[in-house]
Amino acid sequence: MDLNNSEKSFIDIRRIVLIVALIASIISMGLYTREGDDGFLHRLQSSVHTLIAPIGFLSANAGAAIDDAGAAISDATANEETLSALRQRVAELTEMVTQGEEYRLESERLQGLLNLKETYKIDGVTGRVIGRNSDSWNQTITIDVGSDQGVEMGLTVMGPSGVIGQVISVSPGSSDVRLLTDPKSGAAAMIQSTRADGIIRGSLSGTLYLENVDADIEVKQGDVVLTSGLGGSYTKGLLIGTVVRVEGNAKDGTRTIIVAPNEQAAVLEEVIVVFSASESTSFTSNPQSNQGSAGNSDESGEANSATSGEYNPPEGARNEEDDL
Amino acid sequence: MILILKNNAGMLIGALVAVVLQALVAPYITIGYAMLNLIMCYVILMAIIRANKQGYIMPFVLGLCYDLMSSGTVGAMAFICVVLTFVVSRIYSMLANDTMLIPVVLITLGCFVGELIYGCLLIVCGLDVSLPEALLYRMLPCGLYDTVVSLVAYVLIVRFVFSARSTDTMQVIR
Repeated sequence: MDLNNSEKSFIDIRRIVLIVALIASIISMGLYTREGDDGFLHRLQSSVHTLIAPIGFLSANAGAAIDDAGAAISDATANEETLSALRQRVAELTEMVTQGEEYRLESERLQGLLNLKETYKIDGVTGRVIGRNSDSWNQTITIDVGSDQGVEMGLTVMGPSGVIGQVISVSPGSSDVRLLTDPKSGAAAMIQSTRADGIIRGSLSGTLYLENVDADIEVKQGDVVLTSGLGGSYTKGLLIGTVVRVEGNAKDGTRTIIVAPNEQAAVLEEVIVVFSASESTSFTSNPQSNQGSAGNSDESGEANSATSGEYNPPEGARNEEDDL
Repeated sequence: MILILKNNAGMLIGALVAVVLQALVAPYITIGYAMLNLIMCYVILMAIIRANKQGYIMPFVLGLCYDLMSSGTVGAMAFICVVLTFVVSRIYSMLANDTMLIPVVLITLGCFVGELIYGCLLIVCGLDVSLPEALLYRMLPCGLYDTVVSLVAYVLIVRFVFSARSTDTMQVIR
């Protein structure tokens, strides 16, 4: 009899716990969806990320070691065909670097003629990737610089050769960065050659789509896509990637523009948080005041070659050569 | 309290290991975009192994840990873990026999349905992706990955943990 009673009470308790747990989960979901980025649950989530980030750094190193081992095996077993392809690529890149250097010198001369005293540069802080998201639905990374280093929410984050995402939460010693390839991300972008505006969106497949481009604008494979700075969410004039495919027809609204990101965030170890992408005597280096106002760096092609002291991003070609 | 902890020590250690592995290992053993959800796998396994004894606090807390470690909606995985525990343990209690069929079917369905509901909850809570895209790129690959790992883990647990326990019991009886 006693046993039956205790069994019964155990079942009752289980039922109560079940109902309470379900209600608590539903309330949490509702609160999380309704509250802003500064809400309690968002801050709690951010705090947990900060707590586990240092531990994650250890496993990140282990993961990198595994990747290096894989790459080493792959390199060691490269066949003659691969080697000749690489040699050809090196030759192409050498030519591109030479050409790039010519453009840089030409640009310097033009700037001198125009009496431009200041060159464009990236002002930012460099950080190391110390953690990656632990679920498959979100593509975020954690970096080891935070509000102590001047990082603020909304700042653009770059890899060595292109934009990778945006800071979405900040704590004193670390920050979370939502990658461009995340479905929740969206960056105001423009096509370099036509100056046509659009929006770069991520997707679950990891592909970047350039949307909202005017139907009259012709988009070609190989067009370079930059951040436009519209809306102030991303710093203007930073390289995002290249158009790799244009599907459908612009006239009937079925055109889909697919962009290959210049930077593969999956293999990144260091990134730079951009406070401003260009600087002149009339600008300050205040992260907030320069958001979205740092213009024209793409036009001169000088943004990436300027010397900032903290960061000197190479041209795409130089970066690819390093990879080889 | 101490007695409860003592009786459930193995389960609690397992839960802790699942959380640690989810935070530290899962992000680095992805296959394509499919990341292993070790916490959900563990919850499903416990719902089968401890069908009659399994409570709902541990699944809720584990789900909440997952939500807080990830960047998804807080409460979504907690909800799924609790629901999965309830449904899987109930079905297993009703249908359990000595064959492997029921656990295999329940693990497979649990993993796929769990990923499916999680994806749907994220979409309902504001994730801007279409259901077919989510199904193709996340729900099915993740469900498959979770299923394979859960089945392997289940076989190992049954083979080593249970067989070791039954041997001990036999020796005590003798």
